[in-house]
Amino acid sequence: MDILSILINGLNVGVIYAMIALGYTMVYGIAKMLNFAHGDIIMVGGYAIYVFCAMSGSLPMFFGAILISVVVCTLLGITVEKVAYRPLRGASPLAVLITAIGVSYLLQSLAQIIFKSAPKRVAVPDLGKIMIGELGIKVSTLITLAVSVAVMIALSCFIRYNKIGRAMLAVSEDRGAAELMGVNVNKIITITFAIGSALAALAGLFYLLQSPYMTTTFGAMPGIKAFTAAVIGGIGSIPGAMVGSIVLGIIEAVCDAIPAVAPYKDAVEFSILIVILLVRPTGLLGKKRREKV
Amino acid sequence: MKNIGLALKKIKWKHYVNYVIVLAALIVLLIAGASGGLKASTNELVLKIAISIVLAVSLSIVVGFLGELSLGHAGFMCVGAYIGGKVAVVISEKLGGGIVTFLISLIVGGLCAAVCGFVIGLPALRLRGDYLAIVTLAFGEIVKVIFQQSKAFGANLGFDTLRYDKSFRQNFYIIALILVLVTLAVTQNMIRSKHGRAITAIRDNEIAARASGVDVTKYKLIAFVVSAFFAGIAGVMFACTFSTVQAPKFGYNYSIEILVMVVLGGMGNITGTILSASLITFLNVKLSTVLTGDLAVVKDLVYALILVLIVIYTNAPAFKTFREKHNLKAFTLRIFKPKKDPSRIRDDEAKWSNIPTKINMDELLTVDLKVQESVQSPDKGGKNK
Amino acid sequence: MKNLAKKIISAVMAITMIAVACVAFSSCSDAKKNYAANNTEFYIGASGPLTGGAAVYGMAVKNSAEMAVEEINAAGGINGVKIKFVMMDDKHDASNVSTNYATMYEAGMQISLGCVTTAPCKEWKTLSYEDGLFFITPSASADIVVEYDNAFQMCFADENQGTTAANYVNENVSETKIGVLYKSDDAYSTGIFNKFKSTLSSSKTLVEASFSGETVASFATQISQLKDCKFIFMPIYYGPAAQFMDEAKNDVAPDAIYYGCDGLDGIDTSVEGFDISTIPQEVSYLSHFNSQATDGAAKTFIDKYVSKYGKETLNQFGASAYDCIYAIKAAIEAAGNKIGVTSSPSEIGDVLKGIFGGGFTFSGVTGDSITWNKNGFVNKSAIKYIVKEKNS
Repeated sequence: MDILSILINGLNVGVIYAMIALGYTMVYGIAKMLNFAHGDIIMVGGYAIYVFCAMSGSLPMFFGAILISVVVCTLLGITVEKVAYRPLRGASPLAVLITAIGVSYLLQSLAQIIFKSAPKRVAVPDLGKIMIGELGIKVSTLITLAVSVAVMIALSCFIRYNKIGRAMLAVSEDRGAAELMGVNVNKIITITFAIGSALAALAGLFYLLQSPYMTTTFGAMPGIKAFTAAVIGGIGSIPGAMVGSIVLGIIEAVCDAIPAVAPYKDAVEFSILIVILLVRPTGLLGKKRREKV
Repeated sequence: MKNIGLALKKIKWKHYVNYVIVLAALIVLLIAGASGGLKASTNELVLKIAISIVLAVSLSIVVGFLGELSLGHAGFMCVGAYIGGKVAVVISEKLGGGIVTFLISLIVGGLCAAVCGFVIGLPALRLRGDYLAIVTLAFGEIVKVIFQQSKAFGANLGFDTLRYDKSFRQNFYIIALILVLVTLAVTQNMIRSKHGRAITAIRDNEIAARASGVDVTKYKLIAFVVSAFFAGIAGVMFACTFSTVQAPKFGYNYSIEILVMVVLGGMGNITGTILSASLITFLNVKLSTVLTGDLAVVKDLVYALILVLIVIYTNAPAFKTFREKHNLKAFTLRIFKPKKDPSRIRDDEAKWSNIPTKINMDELLTVDLKVQESVQSPDKGGKNK
Repeated sequence: MKNLAKKIISAVMAITMIAVACVAFSSCSDAKKNYAANNTEFYIGASGPLTGGAAVYGMAVKNSAEMAVEEINAAGGINGVKIKFVMMDDKHDASNVSTNYATMYEAGMQISLGCVTTAPCKEWKTLSYEDGLFFITPSASADIVVEYDNAFQMCFADENQGTTAANYVNENVSETKIGVLYKSDDAYSTGIFNKFKSTLSSSKTLVEASFSGETVASFATQISQLKDCKFIFMPIYYGPAAQFMDEAKNDVAPDAIYYGCDGLDGIDTSVEGFDISTIPQEVSYLSHFNSQATDGAAKTFIDKYVSKYGKETLNQFGASAYDCIYAIKAAIEAAGNKIGVTSSPSEIGDVLKGIFGGGFTFSGVTGDSITWNKNGFVNKSAIKYIVKEKNS
């Protein structure tokens, strides 16, 4: 297998992780919590697309399915934030983490009751490949790449130029001071979760475009891998999430390509994570945090 | 008589509550098992609870007392289970399948896990908070994958552990509970010593601790190593209880289950940790046996719902006053309402409600004070009248 | 003094609570006690994944076995005695098996179907060997599961499948480049693959591709590795297989052949939304059951199962479990009055292992004239089913 096809395979997976990681990093950067339920919001988005696509089949309906999935995920994210995370504002971060885990289990068991555990193929349109000489790049990969870069640029601009975005930046730097300055912290955090969940819905969509098979554990491992990618890139940093995800995707593709290493793929990825963190404790593009007494 | 009373008062009873609970359980089980041994299902339950308690208490050293989030605890247990189990199989050919084999495999398994704890403690020195969490998670997964693929340990089929002698296995619950007591003893004594104070100082404010001369490196490593050692012990107990050790069991899901036990019990509260570990394991086992078939999925749902509700209830700042009024301490206080004799007031006791002559503050405050017309309001400009 | 009193009282309360709890669920026991002495029905027990990722298989076994038991009870039972079937959830985790085993054993279990998946069945085999409890597993296919003499399999053992597949390739396939797609963290897949690899003739070159984990984001890498192969062996389950074939349909040559083992059964029926006619290549597998059967005992079973439970959990696990129950019935009838409803598990086990290992023949949904050897392995013909011919 030549290097170029390995790189393209890595890109296939990396861009999906990038979409997931963007949502993760946003919520972590601003609300300072590890949303373990993020992977399961992706799953809910996927099932929303499945349900809607099953009811209809044509292309315009497919865009409708995307819209519905985004709406469903956003509402779910806002609800989860209001019901499960907001009461714990001010409590220890571990308590919030455990609640996030509880929400994750809750979503998974609900999905299992409603949809059972058999794998399902979702009726997304097959977009095919673009051939550049001998190499074929999937159209879905290119779309995902384009969208994630666009989202990344949009988020960066939003945070820098928009009033609400600047308020988010303020909340992420110092919540108390932001509140004193008149920022409605509750509203900002709700908006953060809304954006993060919408991104999760899009991530689910691109995942399905890549390979349209869904089960109830669809979001769990990609969620962990994307979180690893976000940490590699520097958590809290939006370009870091992109960089980390592409790097992780390529590492995965390289491991898969070598038959002797392929079973150890997870071990290799995590070892590289540890090495990177040892050399740069806040990730590749992370900001160094100054700790005050 | 009075001397005994004074002596009794000097002993800090609350330090021994944990030992009392476990000893009481052991005694009850011994009585129940006196004629012919325990029923198999009870035996399994007790062993599972013992393993959970050891895991939860050892994790609470790192999570509750050191304040670091560790998501790789099951990885240490995995090391202990596989290596301890392998050692037991190897030496059982010479030393048979009894307690000596078990003790040797226990020490070896625990030490190997402790070495891993040291290895994880090193990055902990440089990393903070969530970065450390992901490193521990990564470590757990790496260990799991390595053991799952290694042919020496059975590869995908899992590792076949030593089948100890029947008499040893029937009485293993006694050894398991004794190991629980040992874990408690080491943990509690460490926490109450200067090591423990150093560790909690690091949790509360690392920079201040460093500035006060606490050797942060040493104490962080001690916390990780001791925690990992007992996780390894739990792993060896696991290998002794079950006939096959499967690597996928020791993934981050199991680490999170143990973390849930620690958090639900209250961080830094060992009694709470013991009770929550026992209760959660007990409920898991009993609900599995009761809810068979289609209802099995409902159990997961109910478990998740209860988890979320309990965590919100116990940790939300908004419910704090409600909690303080309605927790166990308040109930016992209401039952044993201490009757205060109003004539016995210590001089430095500033309790206004105990003063025999009550001044009715409400009455005082309702007195109308009329503002005199002639009082002048302060000038804004500076001109005096 | 009052603080002391409080401490003593809380300790006493704790002790009392624990004592009550312990006494409530424990009692003195005798290791050799016959818990089945009060049975009024034959108690057949099983353990399997009823929740979690493998729930499809566990539910298939549970549904089919319950269907078989209902039919037998409606027809009067075995020698006039009804059957009680209980299946507990082990979530595909070997550490839950001992609790399930102990609970059912103490409730009077006399015979069992063991576990549905291999890893938990390893725990079951050790426990049941010590009590002499007979089990015939519908689907736990690793060779080591039947290590002891009280254990039998209704399914093909993994090594057997690997050898059979390799012999088939050696004799019938003219390609020299043979591709393999296997799951590297699954005992079934690696068990078959390792034996296949060692039995494959040295004149063939093997191209290996593997994947791991419960969900696979994309099979792109594996497709790049395998796309030049005209014969691809897939000892995996139908879920990932369908996903691979779907993703590879334009990359792998249209005249290539996909060849699998019993795990592929259900690829055309049990993945909702997957239409196998969109795959241009030929798909076939070696199995003991075909969920698209059009005649015979298999068709009768399929019709009954689908009308009762739907198509989603129809797979060879269920068919095998159905046969296990009927095989047990036939064996008990053959035993005559050596087995009674209050016989202990070890008595029944002794008789049944003698019968199964001693030339007993059974015909069912998954085979005609099925026999077993003393080691517990099943002897039946593996049929190659062509799920789908290649598109012309």
